[in-house]
Amino acid sequence: MSTMPVIGQLTDIQARPRRIWTQSISWVLFLVGIFIYTQFSVVRHKENPEDRVVPSGVQLWNGIKASVLEPAEEDDALDAGATTVQRVTHSMVWKDSVSSSRRFFMAIVLLIPAILIGLHMAVFPYVEALLLRFVLFLDKIVALSLLPILFIAFGIDEWSKIMLMVIGVGPTLMLDTYNIAKSVPREQVVKAFTLKSSNLDVAYRVILKQILPQVINSVRLNLKPLALFLFAGEMIVSSDGLAYRIGIMRRHMGMDIIIPYILWVAVLLFGVDALLRFVNRRLHPWF
Amino acid sequence: MNALSFVSKRLAPAINRLVPVKTAIGKGPCIGFLVCLLLAIAQAPEAKAAAPTFTVGWSVYAGWNPYYYMARSGILKRWADKYGIVIKVQRFDYAASLDAFVGKNIDACTMTNMEALDMPAAAGIDSTALIVGDYSNGNDAVLARNNLTLAQLPGKRIMLVQKTVSEYLLERAMDINGLSGQISQLRLMNTSDSDLVGAFLGNQGNQVTVTWKPLVSQILAQGGSVKPIFDSSKIPGEILDLLVVRTDVLQRPDGSGQRFAKAITGAWYETVAQLAGGPGADQAINGSAAASGDSVASYKEQLRTTYLFSTPKMAVDFAESPTIKQKMDLVRQFCFRHQLLGQNISSVDDVAIRYPDSTVQGNSQRVRLRFDSSFMKLAQQGKL
Repeated sequence: MSTMPVIGQLTDIQARPRRIWTQSISWVLFLVGIFIYTQFSVVRHKENPEDRVVPSGVQLWNGIKASVLEPAEEDDALDAGATTVQRVTHSMVWKDSVSSSRRFFMAIVLLIPAILIGLHMAVFPYVEALLLRFVLFLDKIVALSLLPILFIAFGIDEWSKIMLMVIGVGPTLMLDTYNIAKSVPREQVVKAFTLKSSNLDVAYRVILKQILPQVINSVRLNLKPLALFLFAGEMIVSSDGLAYRIGIMRRHMGMDIIIPYILWVAVLLFGVDALLRFVNRRLHPWF
Repeated sequence: MNALSFVSKRLAPAINRLVPVKTAIGKGPCIGFLVCLLLAIAQAPEAKAAAPTFTVGWSVYAGWNPYYYMARSGILKRWADKYGIVIKVQRFDYAASLDAFVGKNIDACTMTNMEALDMPAAAGIDSTALIVGDYSNGNDAVLARNNLTLAQLPGKRIMLVQKTVSEYLLERAMDINGLSGQISQLRLMNTSDSDLVGAFLGNQGNQVTVTWKPLVSQILAQGGSVKPIFDSSKIPGEILDLLVVRTDVLQRPDGSGQRFAKAITGAWYETVAQLAGGPGADQAINGSAAASGDSVASYKEQLRTTYLFSTPKMAVDFAESPTIKQKMDLVRQFCFRHQLLGQNISSVDDVAIRYPDSTVQGNSQRVRLRFDSSFMKLAQQGKL
């Protein structure tokens, strides 16, 4: 049998492709994407050598160099002898990543109480009675439309952006935790009580313990809404951050900066996601 | 195993029905097909329609609203018919209109002199300013609470849409008042124009903003202690509002581009003559106010701070004067300082401007923006 998969095999559910094939097939669409982009860029540059809408490889490379190695516009100029590390820490991509990440992680930290609220809603009937209906309602509010109110309540600095993320994602996370916790079989709770558990034991050591991996997965799924709210906030009012720079660059078609930025944001999000996945696997090898 | 065989028995007819699908997917080299399809889609916009149809994009602004009235009232159609072409007028958000123009989705677009330079021209699209419509004569303003003066601005947070005429106005304000050394100490906060009014008024801690009308009027009407401390009437002729057309459209070999330029210029000056108090003035003002959903009173108030070149002669005189070169030089230096001409432009002269008297500001090999007064001149001579 040859190593080349037969065409008919491609649609066979029971096919067992070799590793080399699965590996190479998984890159096909990336290559197609790069090919189409290049094709598009070449066509546009043939027509207009200075095209900035679909920058060429050289333009992108210059854009990456400018954003990684040159000081941000609002920063003071560096002296010529600056080391690479100094150049990077004064670059716009560095400063933007730092300020966006700070907001992002503040929001994630503030979402931990949301998880606990969801847990308590599922476990304690009176908490459920008090909160469930309200959270269901809150979850349907389009957070972005609250922005003018958030500006008044939290000012236009960091807090309005962080609260936008928390208000946008918090209720979803509460409800998701609530649903996951509710699905823990009732028998376990009864059993725990017969073994002399206290209320808090049941909530934290029986239920939370076993739903935590699913909750972390839920946080992973919510990373993108979080990023979306962060970007919305930064685009509307800010003086630094990844979306701030993208917004500014859009003003004069700086696609040579925007495209590397978009890819960089994807890498950062992928990194956070991978980190959570790793933590999950380490903490809960049984899951 | 039992369950599986049960499933396969139950599903056998369904699976049989799916077989043709399998052959369709399995036999064809489907990825190659996908690539071809995507390429075809990517190439499609290049095909150009043969009919001489032109699209003009405009966005809401006192000096551009008349385009809406011009199209609605039938003035434009009359002129387009005279030259045997079709002109469509389409409203955009400002940023989107520039994107569409640079993407060559529309043929002509309203924009300020600054964006004409840093968007299409800097992106290598040779553009021609066909009509110099007006200049901002107070429409853009620096507003401050608590009787702040310009000298007190460094260190205070300033809300504005960065890299636009707002930032230009702010720097000019500092410049003119001998404070240019302190420009680098200004704390700018990029704020979307859609949320600027609410965000500024919502918190007394926000002390300074730079913006344009009608936002200026909204802030002044609601914010008790907010006062304008500088406005564009102190830099007349620096913030110009233009109608810009792609030069390659203008120079189409079949001459339809020239006919388009004549038609739109003719229609514009007929409209503006009405707006400036000729017969049908009320109708023109109502129609233009309706373009942005403004009340007539509010639109009139905006027009008062807009210096409209209401006759072709006024526009031609300005476009051919040495003044415009000085003003444009200020603007292009600003754009270059702020890297608005692109990251890899090494000299301000690399995006050169050509004036009606054929002089070129910058490298004459790299002319990207042209001021063309010839069509306005034809209008002046009544030859359209």
